[in-house]
Amino acid sequence: MDIRQDRLIDELQVFMESDLERFKSLGERIIKDIRRQHKIMEASDKRQRKEYDQLQEKLLEVERLNREIEDTQKEVVFTMGAIGESRSKETGNHVKRVAEYSKILALAAGMSEREADLLKQASPMHDIGKVAIPDDILNKPGKLDESELDVMKQHTKLGYDMLKHSKRPLLKAAATVAYEHHERYDGNGYPRGLKGEEIHIYGRITAIADVFDALGSDRVYKKAWDDERIFELFKNEKGKQFDPHLVDLFFENINELLKVREEYRDLFG
Amino acid sequence: MKILMIEATKYTPMINLDPQKGVFEFKGKSYPENTFDFYSPVIDWIEKYFMSDRSAPTRVNMDIIYFNSSSSKLFFDFFDILDEARKNGYSVEVNWYYDKENESSLEAGEDFKEDFEELTFNLIEK
Ligand SMILES: [Fe+2]
Ligand SMILES: [Fe+2]
Repeated sequence: MDIRQDRLIDELQVFMESDLERFKSLGERIIKDIRRQHKIMEASDKRQRKEYDQLQEKLLEVERLNREIEDTQKEVVFTMGAIGESRSKETGNHVKRVAEYSKILALAAGMSEREADLLKQASPMHDIGKVAIPDDILNKPGKLDESELDVMKQHTKLGYDMLKHSKRPLLKAAATVAYEHHERYDGNGYPRGLKGEEIHIYGRITAIADVFDALGSDRVYKKAWDDERIFELFKNEKGKQFDPHLVDLFFENINELLKVREEYRDLFG
Repeated sequence: MKILMIEATKYTPMINLDPQKGVFEFKGKSYPENTFDFYSPVIDWIEKYFMSDRSAPTRVNMDIIYFNSSSSKLFFDFFDILDEARKNGYSVEVNWYYDKENESSLEAGEDFKEDFEELTFNLIEK
C-alpha cells in the first residue's frame, strides 16, 4: 500500500499539533482500521491457500491428461506398427526391437533424449504402407517377379502418403521413416534413390535397425543368421547400403543392441 | 456533474457513476497494478458528488467477482465515504452481488456489512 495516500498517517501528523478530543476519535479509527487490515489479511491468506490448492490440483490433472495423451499416442502408433508388421513376414517382437535399436543408435548419433524417443516411437511404423499391398503379392510363397517387386516396393511411398498430412512431429517422423527406410547410402535404394545425407537420419537409422533385426530373427521361411555373418554384412555394406558413421556407431554399441535382442527375444512354442 | 465511465480491463472493473440516476456501478475484477492510483479519480468524483445537494437516494451496485487485498482496503475506504454521507443525511444503499460458488466474494460482503452496521448493505445472490 502506498504510504502517501494513507489518511491515517496524514491525520496522525495533524494530531501532533492538536488536542485530546481529536486524539480519541483518531485512536478509535486507528483501531478500526487495524481490525479491517486483519480481516483483509485473513481473507487474503485464506484465498491464497485455496487458490494454491486449486492450482496444484489442476497441475496434477494436466499432468495426468498429458500422460494419458502420450500413452494413447504410443499405443496407437505401436498398434499401427504392429498392423504393418502383421502384413509383412516379420513376427513377434520385431517392432519393439526396431524401436529400441533405433533409440540406441539415435542417442549414439548425438540426438537429444527427446528426439531419440520420437524416433523410437516412429520407427515401428516403417512398414505401415504394407497394409495397402495386395495379399497375393504380400503372401506369395516364392520369389516375386519384377513387376510384383515394384508393387512391393511401393509400401514405402504408400506409408509416406498415409502419414504425410499430419502436423504432429511423431507422425511426421514416421512418414519420413516409412518413406526412406529402404534407401541406400550409395543411392541404389528405393523409392527415390536418395544418396548419403540426402536420406534423413531417421531413415538411415531405421534401415540399420530393421535389417539388423530381420537378419537376426528366425522366420517361418529362414533361420536367423549367426552374429558373425551379420557383422560381416554390416562391415561390407558400410558406405554402400548403410551410413558408414552409423555402422561405426552400430559396432560401438553392439553390446547394448544385443542386450535388447536378448530381452525381446521371440519365443516360439 | 458528468457521468464517470471507465471501461473494464483484464485487471480492473467496469465503473459507471451516474449522478442523474444516482446509481454507481462496479462490475468485474479488481486487481490493478496500483489500486490507489486506479481508484483515486473515482474516489474524488464520489466525494464531490456528496458535496452537492441531493435528496434522491443513491444506489451502489457492486458486482466484483475477484479482487486483491488493496482493493478490499479501498472498498472499506469507499464505504467510509458512503457511511459519512449517510450520517450527513443522504440516503445510500449498497447492493453487494455475489455468486454462490464464490466464497471469498460472499465473505468479503459479510465483512463489509458487519463493519458498516448502519449503512443499508444488501448481500444479493446472483
Ligand atoms: Fe519395409
Ligand atoms: Fe521391418
